[in-house]
Amino acid sequence: MSNSVISVISRFLEEYASSTPNKLKVIDAYLLYIMMTGALQFLYCLLVGTFPFNSFLSGFISCVGSFILAVCLRIQINPQNKGEFLSISPERAFADFLFAHTVLHLVVINFIG
Amino acid sequence: MYPFEGLFSLLVLSLVLETQALTPTHHLTTTDVARLQAVLSQPFTDLKSAYYSVVGLSKLGIFVADADETCRFINSNLDPSSVESLFYAAEASQALSGCEIPVSNDTRDLLLATVSEDSTASQIHQSVSALSALGLPLASQEVVSALKARISKEDNVLAIILALQTASRLSQQAELGEILEEIEDLAARLDDLGGVYLQFEEGLEATALFVSAAYSLSDHVDMEPPLKEDQVIQLVNSIFSKKSWDSLSEAFSVASAAASLSNNRFHVPVIVSAQGPAAVSHSHPFLQLQVTDVLCQPLSSASVLVESASAVASKSAILNQAPFTLRDGVFELNFMASQPASGYYQFSVAITGDSRFVANHVELKVKVSTRVAINNMDLSVVDKDQSIGPKTTRVEYPTKAKASFMADSHQNFAMTFQLVDETTGVELTPHQTFVRLHNQKTGQEVVFVAEPDSKNLYKFELDTAERKTEFDSISGTYALYLMVGDATLENPILWNVADVVLKFLDEEAPGTIQAKTLYVPKPEIQHLFREPEKKPPTVVSNAFTALVLSPFLLLLILWFKLGANISNFTLSPSTILFHIGHAAMLGLMYVYWTHLNMFQTLKYLAIIGSLTFLAGNRMLAQKAVKRLDGK
Repeated sequence: MSNSVISVISRFLEEYASSTPNKLKVIDAYLLYIMMTGALQFLYCLLVGTFPFNSFLSGFISCVGSFILAVCLRIQINPQNKGEFLSISPERAFADFLFAHTVLHLVVINFIG
Repeated sequence: MYPFEGLFSLLVLSLVLETQALTPTHHLTTTDVARLQAVLSQPFTDLKSAYYSVVGLSKLGIFVADADETCRFINSNLDPSSVESLFYAAEASQALSGCEIPVSNDTRDLLLATVSEDSTASQIHQSVSALSALGLPLASQEVVSALKARISKEDNVLAIILALQTASRLSQQAELGEILEEIEDLAARLDDLGGVYLQFEEGLEATALFVSAAYSLSDHVDMEPPLKEDQVIQLVNSIFSKKSWDSLSEAFSVASAAASLSNNRFHVPVIVSAQGPAAVSHSHPFLQLQVTDVLCQPLSSASVLVESASAVASKSAILNQAPFTLRDGVFELNFMASQPASGYYQFSVAITGDSRFVANHVELKVKVSTRVAINNMDLSVVDKDQSIGPKTTRVEYPTKAKASFMADSHQNFAMTFQLVDETTGVELTPHQTFVRLHNQKTGQEVVFVAEPDSKNLYKFELDTAERKTEFDSISGTYALYLMVGDATLENPILWNVADVVLKFLDEEAPGTIQAKTLYVPKPEIQHLFREPEKKPPTVVSNAFTALVLSPFLLLLILWFKLGANISNFTLSPSTILFHIGHAAMLGLMYVYWTHLNMFQTLKYLAIIGSLTFLAGNRMLAQKAVKRLDGK
């Protein structure tokens, strides 16, 4: 049983390494970074306490928001999805990504206290 | 035959009308009438005030002292070219005996010319009154048609009142029917305030003038005015509720209204008031009533009758159809002759004698007072176990018992007595029968209530053991007082009956009575500021900060491994500008966190953001072009 799981995972990693374009891998690395940052913040909150609560929320929301925006960027940039995003060029997607981040960071900095 | 009719109609009325007919709540007393006369007797300064004074006083039945002097004053102030002046002079001179106003043909022509549709109702009123007062002929029909035209044009309350007043001066042959109907229309315009008052919103003067005009016109054509009895009483309330008058014209209007209400052919409101308090007793056995008209003049033709008098408490009838006798202008009835028990009685009084009387059915509450006497006051000290018979001491009012009584916890102190009416000997149960024990030394007093039993014998028992809390267990000599009082008693009683020495068990040291510590400074409240939350130690915080920042290193490593680079970095101005702008925005975020507020940040963000946007737009467009070319 665990054998098949391991084989599935290794197959997946192989496929990923080979067939994913570099740009997407860059974004994936970024996603991993964001996820780890968020997870570590959550760990701190569990271990040490929620004081100050607003700061914790702010940081966590920042991670979550960034993750979501990066996922959106990845979806829009992926050439395999080109059919669904005919009117949105990769540059446009990136510009949207930057704008949304500006708004997100405005809110986050306001809330972080 | 006359009283029989009156009685029968009253009987029917009292059966049919369960709701009480209105009686006046406000009326002029003799002092008010005197004040009204005084206001009208003030020395007059001009023709108008002379008119108000002279004619007003004549309505009250008083004639000016110096008739000749007044006549000369009127003649010297008369302006024959003014209709108003002629009106005042003519009316005033008519009220004075033997005063003549010289009338020329021009004057007469002026007055006659004023009677037309083009003059105001007030002018028509003045000229018609002047013509009739001076004895000059006038064409009544012309006046009627002019008045009708003015009423439809002016249609305000005062104009219609003046039209009514004018119509009462015209010949009885003229067609006054339509003007007579105006009385009913005006009556409909009166405001009913709480069912008590009826008045025009224009005020007291208008209401009073309406009453006087309506009755003078009704008397003139001999037709009863369409005012119901209740309305008449409400008008009386409105007009006579004000006892001091702002102006001469207001006083004049009240005097006219009073005169017309006391002397007209249809409605004469009757004012019934008790002389002094409505109370009788053995020393004052007569119930005296004043029955007058609105001007406080006694009604000569009236006969006053008590229809029924019943006790308020028991509702048993005492009197039925008992007449009052007239003596010196006051109606009186010897109520004590019917030997009523003390208490309150509801009287229903009827005034007959004239079919014009309005509000001639009055309800009165009469109090019968009496003197109380205390009989058989017996004091005794009874042993609780009844082994020793009680020693009873009788005390006579108002003396005090010679020996003082001793009672300790094994004994009860008892008191019995009877309260009777002094003259009749009937037992009484007054509202207040208290027994008060007063400690002379400490000033403490305790009050108990003495209750009557079924035979109206009052008993009071003091159980020393049971009542020790009321006394705070303070033993000593207490003075015993009996207090008797009631509204119907003429002689309330406070009687020091005896001295009682009380001995209580377990005498607690009587602490001085603690004055309530209400106004002493209270303990100070210390304000507790909110405790700051416990912060984790700095080591932990620093450790976790480093931990949270560590994935960034991982990211850089991964990117390096993936071969992310900036080899495609074109050094065009838009690119540089974009990157600078973006860096500035991130810097702004940091500055926002440390220094700024949202408004300032938005301001800067707008500036930097728009630059960055333009530059970025350019840069990305170039990139897109390059990508598409490269394809």
